[in-house]
Amino acid sequence: MNVEPSRRSLLNGAAALAGAAALSPLLVACGGGGSGNQGGTSSEQGLASALPDHVPSDAVTPDIAPVEGAAGAISPPGFLRYPTERVRTVPEVPGSGGTYTTLTPLWGAVPPADNEHYRAMNEALGATLEMAPSAGANYGTVLPTLTAAERLPDWVQLPGWLNAQASTGRLVGTQLADLTPYLAGDRIRQYPNLAALPTGAWRGGIWQDKLYGIPVHSGTFTLGGMFYHRRDIFEERGIDANEVRSADDLFALGEELTDARAGVWAFEELWPFIDLIFPIEAKFRVVDGRLVHRYEQPEFIEALDWCRRIVDAGLLHPDALTGSHNDDASKARFYAGQSLITADGGGSWNGADADAGRAANPGYRRGCFMPFSADGTSEPRLPLMWTASWYSYLNIKLRPEQIEECLRIANYLAAPYGSQEYTRITFGVEGTHWTEGPDGPRYTEQGTIEAQPGTYVFLANPIAVVSNLGYPQITEDFCAWAAEAVRYAYKPVFWNMNITVPRRLATADAAQAVEDTISEVSRGIQPVSAFQEALGTWKRNGGDELVGWYETEVLDKLGTGQE
Amino acid sequence: MTTMTRSGTPAPRVPRQAPGRRRHPRRPVWEEPPTAPGQAVKGLSLTAVVLIILVPLYCVVLTSLSTPGAINRAGGLVLVPDGLTFDAYETMLSGGPIRRSLFVTLGITVVGTALSMIVSVLCAYGLSRSRSLGHRFLLLILVVTMFVNGGLIPTFLVVNELGGYGQYWSLILPTAVNVFNIIVLRAFFSGTAADLIDAARIDGAGEWHILGSIVLPTSRAVLAVITLFYAVGYWNTFFSVLLYLPTESEKWPLQYVLYQYVNLGATVPGQANSGFGTGAVQIAPLSLQMALVVLTLIPILLVFPFMQRHFAKGMLTGAIKG
Amino acid sequence: MASTLAPGDEPGVTSPARRRGHRRRPVPPENRLTWRIRLRRDRTLILMTLPAIGLLVVFTYLPMLGIVTAFQFYDPLVGIADSEWIGLENFERLFGDPLFWGALENTLYLSAVQLVLYFPIPIMLALLLNSVLNERVRAVIQAVTFLPHFFSWVLVVTIFQQMFGGAGLLNQFLRDHGMGTWDLMTDPDTFALLVTSQVVWKDAGWGIIVFLAALTAINQNLYEAAAVDGAGRWRRMWHVTLPGMRGIIVLMLVLRLGNALSVGFEQLLIQRAGVGHDAADVLDTFAYYYGIGTQDYGYGAAAGIFKSVISLLLLWGANALAHRFGEDGLYRS
Repeated sequence: MNVEPSRRSLLNGAAALAGAAALSPLLVACGGGGSGNQGGTSSEQGLASALPDHVPSDAVTPDIAPVEGAAGAISPPGFLRYPTERVRTVPEVPGSGGTYTTLTPLWGAVPPADNEHYRAMNEALGATLEMAPSAGANYGTVLPTLTAAERLPDWVQLPGWLNAQASTGRLVGTQLADLTPYLAGDRIRQYPNLAALPTGAWRGGIWQDKLYGIPVHSGTFTLGGMFYHRRDIFEERGIDANEVRSADDLFALGEELTDARAGVWAFEELWPFIDLIFPIEAKFRVVDGRLVHRYEQPEFIEALDWCRRIVDAGLLHPDALTGSHNDDASKARFYAGQSLITADGGGSWNGADADAGRAANPGYRRGCFMPFSADGTSEPRLPLMWTASWYSYLNIKLRPEQIEECLRIANYLAAPYGSQEYTRITFGVEGTHWTEGPDGPRYTEQGTIEAQPGTYVFLANPIAVVSNLGYPQITEDFCAWAAEAVRYAYKPVFWNMNITVPRRLATADAAQAVEDTISEVSRGIQPVSAFQEALGTWKRNGGDELVGWYETEVLDKLGTGQE
Repeated sequence: MTTMTRSGTPAPRVPRQAPGRRRHPRRPVWEEPPTAPGQAVKGLSLTAVVLIILVPLYCVVLTSLSTPGAINRAGGLVLVPDGLTFDAYETMLSGGPIRRSLFVTLGITVVGTALSMIVSVLCAYGLSRSRSLGHRFLLLILVVTMFVNGGLIPTFLVVNELGGYGQYWSLILPTAVNVFNIIVLRAFFSGTAADLIDAARIDGAGEWHILGSIVLPTSRAVLAVITLFYAVGYWNTFFSVLLYLPTESEKWPLQYVLYQYVNLGATVPGQANSGFGTGAVQIAPLSLQMALVVLTLIPILLVFPFMQRHFAKGMLTGAIKG
Repeated sequence: MASTLAPGDEPGVTSPARRRGHRRRPVPPENRLTWRIRLRRDRTLILMTLPAIGLLVVFTYLPMLGIVTAFQFYDPLVGIADSEWIGLENFERLFGDPLFWGALENTLYLSAVQLVLYFPIPIMLALLLNSVLNERVRAVIQAVTFLPHFFSWVLVVTIFQQMFGGAGLLNQFLRDHGMGTWDLMTDPDTFALLVTSQVVWKDAGWGIIVFLAALTAINQNLYEAAAVDGAGRWRRMWHVTLPGMRGIIVLMLVLRLGNALSVGFEQLLIQRAGVGHDAADVLDTFAYYYGIGTQDYGYGAAAGIFKSVISLLLLWGANALAHRFGEDGLYRS
């Protein structure tokens, strides 16, 4: 499973500076925003001529094979231990001596500027990449200043969820280089590791019929989040999480689990992930050839009301009410057993999570509810996130041969999990940064400082896999869950389509006032009627016009993107 | 006529007080002895104030010293010691190029504070004469900037156009003038020893001489305060680093380097399933955050005693007889 | 000098208050001087202000050109010169936006509550501290009280959450004793009090240091003279200490009023989700969410201009009021 940018991580205090646009889960999926006064998107023919071919790689064989599910989604391959035979996928040194500046976000401590890992990488690449990781939480604040001053580096990461803030839609072709001539169609075959990235991921890098973005962290089965529970506590109490088959079941379980006097509440905030059980479609549903906005789908109010009832019944942890301003806090409550059911991104189910949880309670085990639908009878539906939510771009000032050099480097960086190149990028130099452990490389202290922070991955990397070295059980649990869940995947309307809303409609598109009201209704601060009121205002002030624009300019001309 | 004595008042002081009185050597002889209820009320309210602050502070320090287990068992700030470790501090102080960033910060703080103080003191003094030409207009120019600013992007563009991107001075010059500080300085300057200044002017003393030999010596307390204000500001330089030096890690000041560790526990998109959990340093993000807070407080506590001296009661004994 | 301290009398202290006497002098002769002569006389003074003015011109006034975006459909990518000019449209939208008026109302309300409940506290603390004779005790207390200033708002809110939140110490105590709970952190009705108490906790200790500096500037002889005249502890505070601090207190008050439209941006941003935008949105958060947050920069700039103009008017009004009461305020009238 691909790890999408956890919405919660976007919500934490520091990230609040990254802008309110990021606060709206809708924008994560729509990727559009403040670009071009006319707005626009790609045409179907344009798309076809810009898309690169897809040539899957079979360089490495996983321990747990991927499972093909609905809507073209494939569950991610699982690795119980790091491959011992590390194949070489890039036979020649990719670079030709160039020097390139970069800018990538980083969550963690920036490695020293001139370190052995960078030097070894430059040697392996045959070029100098000047790595410049910048504080991830403030990345969205820095980008607009750099673009306004036209100070973008040669190679930059512009996450899809920052497209609106970074104005990516209008940087393409003015500050960012068109990669179509280098990658479209069979031209990508000279970069086999890039060609192995799924087609859907490249679609998100296409703007106005041309390919600009190199996908990062791609995966064909990416969900907005999952519903988790404390499996150890459930088992202790003899609760079978799989018996939860409807929203009512979940509510009833919440009542059973909550014991405020003991300081235990059933739930963390579920609303941001409610689409996983209530069949709301983001951001539109097509009914009789017309678009119905998420706000106007009947299930929306139902879901809102359900979340509100959780609050009213006192089943939500009170600290969750004051907002997700602190991601760590909600995790800490879950670890402490103060809350037992939470919804979070797929990335929170891994070895690091187990370490943190077990530090508090040795028996800690995270479990995941099997997909279910709110009414308990219909088939569950899991909306796919975009195939990639992160893209790196090359500066338009680069000469063609420089672009080719960068793409060869990108091909190196996208080498598959377990390959020789991947080992070098991720773990560094053997003996210096890592040593061979029982189940794969282990970082040395120097490796923790220099190689472990994710720097190169934000320029290009292979399709996501599941691997939790030292925790094969988690990988097995995860893959088993994904193999089941992937059957319920569906592509939302306008999936993987970069849509640039005209600027006069951008405010209606962001719908800040409605989003505020929704958040408050879901927390029980305002009645459901407040939402209906805010919705009415929104429809009058551009909302209806916005939906109309999507119908005539996108739906009628280009279809739904669902194929 | 006006005279100034710097060494105390001519009023007789009792040279040696009774042994029982030595607890309060600074209590002047004319002041009544404290009453028991008065002392009790004062003591109680001060104790309450201190406790209200110390209890959370204790939680902060304790959390910074707690193991991930203790923090995750507490589900937040730790109230009862449950497993202590210095890991958070070790990580923060050993992992990165801390020493260089410390020197960078010291440099920025010293240079910046000196520059700010010179500029501010000159400006405040220049405006402190109530009848001087144009002082109201100049004051208006200052005051307007307290309420109007062009915003982040225009400011960035100006600094960038001036070549400040990637330069140390971009951390100092744009924030070197704090109008609030100038106004406070000015109020004190025009408040102290005005009659003395008038006299000095009549005697033909120049402005530089008046500033150096009358105004500054009588304004030590407020100078200490404003120096502290500026120094703390520079010490905590953070946001301008993000804007102007985002990529030059060898020029980063301490607070920015330390701040990165606070982000360490944040969900790192895309990394979580690729090798984490092996050899990764396991430290609760919360303890790192709290360690950062504590590390911020330590220099303040170290500097404070030096500043405190300037608040000694009655230090300024400029007596004006008129 | 031995003033008789009858109530209402002005004690002659070396404070700004004292120099109000200057105003009562006959017309100062310099008003009859030509500006040329005055320039020659004051040129050193003017020269001294130039470094600061220069820095402000470059780093504050030059970027201030950015505020013209309030009259634009501003697009940072094409820059100010090429953005579309739309006249007063942003302002028309602003004044027609109920959320804006709500934010303004909240701003003024929070500001007023803080003025009444917060403003006097640092002064009282400073007086209290000043009355502690043992210097070491005083230094320790002072150092402790201003530490919270260096806490981030996130931390302060977390601390309050753990004390007063729905799962906090207070409410667990109430639950244990079978009493009803009260989640202070999500109660919009008491939000102003919550916000103010957070400000008091965080910044009161820091706020005292300017007042302490003012206290040191009071001539000790006055206390002695007052004591010799038979004034007790309280009367000395009333007739010596407070008048001595009055200039600074009034100055701080004037500045505070000028800043009435800026109340705790980050503090409110963090707690907005808990109590809802109805209670927590102030002008700054409004401009942030509905301007910058939705890339509607021109709209945000319009809200900013509105705020600046009102602030300057408030400052001017407060200053004029101070002059009416015979105080210097920002400058001598």
